[in-house]
Amino acid sequence: MSKRNEKVLMIPKIKLGIVIDHIPAGEGVKILEIISRYEEMQDVPVTLGLNYDSKKMGRKDLIKMQLEFLSPEIIQHISIVVPGVTIKAIKDYRVYSKVVVQAPKVIKNLLLCKNPNCVTNLESGIETLFHAVDEESNRVRCNFCERIFDRSELKPIIK
Amino acid sequence: MKKDLISMEDLTVDEIKDYLKLAHSVEKLPADERFRLLQGKIMAAMFFEPSTRTRLSFESAMHRLGGGVIGFAEQSATSVSKGESFTDTIHTVENYCDIMVIRHPGEGTARLAARVSSIPVINAGDGSNQHPTQTLLDIFTIEKDLGKISGIKVAFVGDLKYSRTVHSLIRALMKFDVTEFILVAPESLRLPKYFMMTDEPNKYHFYETNHLEEAISKCDILYMTRIQRERFPDLLEYEKVKDSYLLTAAMLEEARPHLRVLHPLPRVNEIAYDVDKTKYAGYFPQARNGVIMREAILLKHLGVKI
Ligand SMILES: [Zn+2]
Repeated sequence: MSKRNEKVLMIPKIKLGIVIDHIPAGEGVKILEIISRYEEMQDVPVTLGLNYDSKKMGRKDLIKMQLEFLSPEIIQHISIVVPGVTIKAIKDYRVYSKVVVQAPKVIKNLLLCKNPNCVTNLESGIETLFHAVDEESNRVRCNFCERIFDRSELKPIIK
Repeated sequence: MKKDLISMEDLTVDEIKDYLKLAHSVEKLPADERFRLLQGKIMAAMFFEPSTRTRLSFESAMHRLGGGVIGFAEQSATSVSKGESFTDTIHTVENYCDIMVIRHPGEGTARLAARVSSIPVINAGDGSNQHPTQTLLDIFTIEKDLGKISGIKVAFVGDLKYSRTVHSLIRALMKFDVTEFILVAPESLRLPKYFMMTDEPNKYHFYETNHLEEAISKCDILYMTRIQRERFPDLLEYEKVKDSYLLTAAMLEEARPHLRVLHPLPRVNEIAYDVDKTKYAGYFPQARNGVIMREAILLKHLGVKI
């Protein structure tokens, strides 16, 4: 049996949809949480797979969604919370496009500043802005209060 | 394009040097010439929390340049206390003046003001974040007192954990190739480790000690700060340490001849009054330099050349 077929056994084929692959084991729930908070995703069938074997990662999570198009906003959101995952678009049972999403260097209005005394938390309607201070965007600096945080400790903004 | 002064982190060494150069030129100008430079201009001093010294220093600078001053000294005097948003206050006041000086307890407030306002904004302190005019006047003072900045040895004394003034000055001095720092602080108020982390760990040296006496003979600048009672969860602990960080004239016997003692003021009980009469006392001239540096800043940001 080819490797390709083994995969098919684990992940039921879909005719049309989006697959989020290479999610570090345990992180799938975080992505699910993001997705579930967007209004446009309310009626979309979503399957979460946990702890699949992965050559590359040892174990991984996987999410499969029955929809044609994932909004750039949601993709960016995922890229900030769990960077490094692969997003695949499936059409007629085939992967027709695939992208590995990385956390951006500039994160505009997607994360909340953790500093309660930051003006973005004191005034309403202020767009937040963070800049990466390292290569991988693991540490980010708030453009307003100038504090540096681990990206993973900041809560995403859900509009 | 309008130019704001929000954070020392935004400034390159060359830009800082420009402020220093301008401050030196301002100082040389006769008072009557100075007085003509900003006639017809209005500065708004918007102090959402009281800071009498900083406000008076800015107002004095503007008056010396012949400009006018409007403003408020605390939030309760403003429409913010009636529920007006900060950005609405900025949008309103920008019609009344040519430059805004903002002091606010919220961090990032000056950055926000600069973003929404069409006129230059000067940050006069945003919470525990930045107070760039203080840092610029400190560097100006050090340069004037010692004739140079790079290569000097600076001791910081007191609350090194929370002092925004200390943090900002250390970072600026590092940019100027000051590589040796003596840090005198009680265990619980030491400089956070991340300030000592740099890309060049072999270049910078931070010596930590609990004893003020140890630092005095070894440094060129002795920068004193307040130790605030509120910082101590245990008042007994405060009583124990407060006197060990009191500088007296007798302690300065071993000092280098050119040593300067600086302090952002107001002092509480870190510097005994007998130090005032020694040649080492630099904190009152430092306050005077503050006005000169703020004159330079107002000129620069209003685009007036001298
Ligand atoms: Zn912030």
